[in-house]
Amino acid sequence: MKSTLKLLLASVALTTFAMPAFAKDMTVDLSGEPSSLDPQVQWNPDSYYVYRNIFDNLVTRDNEGKIVPQIATSWEQVSDTEMLMTLRDDVIFHDGQKMTAEDVVFSIKRITDPEFGSPQLGQFDQISDAEAVDEVTVKLTTDGPYPALLAQLVKLSVVPKHVVEEVGDDAFNAAPVGSGPYKFTDWNRGVSVTLTRNDDYWGDAGSIETAVFRAVPDAATRLADLQAGAADLVVGLDSDAATQLAGQDDVQLLSAPTERVAYLGMNLDKPPFNDPELRKAASMAIDTVGITEGLLGAGEVSVAQLASPAHFGYAEGIAPWEFDPEAAAEIVSAKADVAATPATFATAPVFDQRIVQALQQMLNDVGFNVSISVTDMPTYLDIVRSDPADNAELSFGRWSCACQDADGIAYPLLHSGSNWSRVNDPKLDELLDTARGSLDTQVRQDAYNQVHQIVRDNYYTLPMYQAAVLYGAASDLTFTPTANESLFLNRMTWSE
Amino acid sequence: MASFLLNRLFQALVTAFGVITLVFFIQRLTGDPTALLLPETATQKDFEAMRQTLGFDRPMIEQYLSFLGDMIRFDLGRSFIQNAPVSEILASRFPQTLQLAGGALLVAFAIGLPVGVIMALTRGRAISRWIMGLVLACQSMPTFWSGIMMILVFGVWLKWLPPSGTGSLAHLVMPSIALGLLSLATYARITRSAVVDELGRDYIRSARARGVRTPRLVRKHLLRNSAIPVISITALEISQLLAGAVIVETVFAWPGLGQLTVQSIASRDFAVVQAVVLLGAWVTILANLTADILYSLVDPRVRLGNQ
Repeated sequence: MKSTLKLLLASVALTTFAMPAFAKDMTVDLSGEPSSLDPQVQWNPDSYYVYRNIFDNLVTRDNEGKIVPQIATSWEQVSDTEMLMTLRDDVIFHDGQKMTAEDVVFSIKRITDPEFGSPQLGQFDQISDAEAVDEVTVKLTTDGPYPALLAQLVKLSVVPKHVVEEVGDDAFNAAPVGSGPYKFTDWNRGVSVTLTRNDDYWGDAGSIETAVFRAVPDAATRLADLQAGAADLVVGLDSDAATQLAGQDDVQLLSAPTERVAYLGMNLDKPPFNDPELRKAASMAIDTVGITEGLLGAGEVSVAQLASPAHFGYAEGIAPWEFDPEAAAEIVSAKADVAATPATFATAPVFDQRIVQALQQMLNDVGFNVSISVTDMPTYLDIVRSDPADNAELSFGRWSCACQDADGIAYPLLHSGSNWSRVNDPKLDELLDTARGSLDTQVRQDAYNQVHQIVRDNYYTLPMYQAAVLYGAASDLTFTPTANESLFLNRMTWSE
Repeated sequence: MASFLLNRLFQALVTAFGVITLVFFIQRLTGDPTALLLPETATQKDFEAMRQTLGFDRPMIEQYLSFLGDMIRFDLGRSFIQNAPVSEILASRFPQTLQLAGGALLVAFAIGLPVGVIMALTRGRAISRWIMGLVLACQSMPTFWSGIMMILVFGVWLKWLPPSGTGSLAHLVMPSIALGLLSLATYARITRSAVVDELGRDYIRSARARGVRTPRLVRKHLLRNSAIPVISITALEISQLLAGAVIVETVFAWPGLGQLTVQSIASRDFAVVQAVVLLGAWVTILANLTADILYSLVDPRVRLGNQ
């Protein structure tokens, strides 16, 4: 009994007196730990938030979204399928070795090798060859004319050939060596990744000396960390969290429109949405402004096309959707028996369920018969990628190609050759192929203008808004969020 | 004793085999991990290439047999999400959960046991009913709620404790309490009824008649004789704690097996899920076995095996 009491007292004492030390390093709360730090393997935000600081890419995007030089100082399209890139000659990897054209060639060949099995293969597999012309020049060859090449190269990180070959893929992933503004220091599995500033960086390494990226899966906990000062920057917040932070002096909310486009997908092969009139009714039933301003309110931009102002190929002058529930109800009541066909709305927990439920409600209000079916992500992906006959009638998506080019979103969702597409329109296919195969930006833009108009006229799919991303940050941190959802530490500063 | 242990070991192997077989097939019925690995723009060709790289294109039974072969050689496989051997991942996560479960058990035991004894000794009085109400509250609070509330109060407002994460003893306090609350209530209730049972027995009455005072009575007589139900409950609570850790670890960003399990199930990281479930099965089996052995130590009337 006495020892039990002692234990009891000890635990009470612990609760009362243990004062943790809050270190004033840059601490970032992510929703999960990086799947990999090898930039050529896994492809998800929690991974690239971290590794984009360790590695340089051939080109990058500035805060305004423009493609600007990084490792490549200039580039020239020498033929329809060949591009010559000139590289910096002052880039040193973190182990002290100089970066050469061979490292760039190695990086491209590694990620495009099907044997290597990179999940990012599909973004680079149009590059058929890479060749070092001299120490600082690389020639890239593509399968055919490939207008999105530069947009894709924004994500091509250069890895050191000598290190990867010497230590192997696993060891490289566990302790990556890059050339970026931050050096890898430590990976405490399941807990955090620590990076330290690379003081020998060829460019601006920024002012933050050490950064710790932690895995904090629960959004409420990330919020509490920020409020308690245990984290300086947190990702993955929604508008409810934003409301909680409002009115607090020591924290700020940062938001930016991303290149994700949210849309309501419809199955064009099954009733009720095989009928263009009923699709029109659906478009009129949905209050996109109510969703973006009432539910979300993080700076989402309404769009009526499968592209956003952050994409090349965004068309000016596409009329916004008309919100007119009475007119929608009239169309539906004229075709009441078809419209009442039970429609399944397939979704998964990763999608904002508030929006899914709002959409269901709006459609049912005008006379549709929509029910929501929530499954986990793999099951959902199986459903939406299946044949039209087995497919759900409705789905909600937030599409990102991470390339900021309409090709990456309109092609997979609209071209009959893609297994995501429910559309089969030869005219659309032709325009999408033209836009994909031409290096002439005017030809491409014209094609996309027509694509977006055809989609709008036929109600093939209902694009709704350009999604925004919300970050919570300490109020003395200066950081400009970008459309490609990167956390570049060397672009952040502390104000004194 | 030896034949008892051998018998139990054989039973344990059969259980473990059944568990991993079930997990192997159920997981594979619930979706294709390649769809999660590849970006949205991936083509059918990319999918096929990825399936081949990961070995999912082979017939199910072939995959199962090679999996069993690996298990026999103690090879837990490789996580294709974390790109690391599963044994390495478990080795980094298991101690964290052990620490948390230890902390929780300590909270539950150190508070639940005395509370149970007090409730038994004061039974029928108002104080007992008050304590019972508190215990019930502990048991009824869902951990995802009590955890967040503790974070808000002690982490954000009072700033006494770090709101989440690991690294020091202070980090362990809130998760241990959140996880321990449920077991605490169970301990208090079981201890209470065991002690109440004993209180009615003749030896207690004669001890009281001899003039033995209550503290000594509890220490010398009641606790030891009430120990058997408490030990059986501990074996059950250990598996309860592993299950509860799933939520507590997510709320407090505690890098243990619970968090790993949720993430691995969500991403269909087959090898990790299999290994975690297998580990959970072994922990449960061993906890029960230990409880059986402890019975015979605490109560000499219990004999193990056929003697």
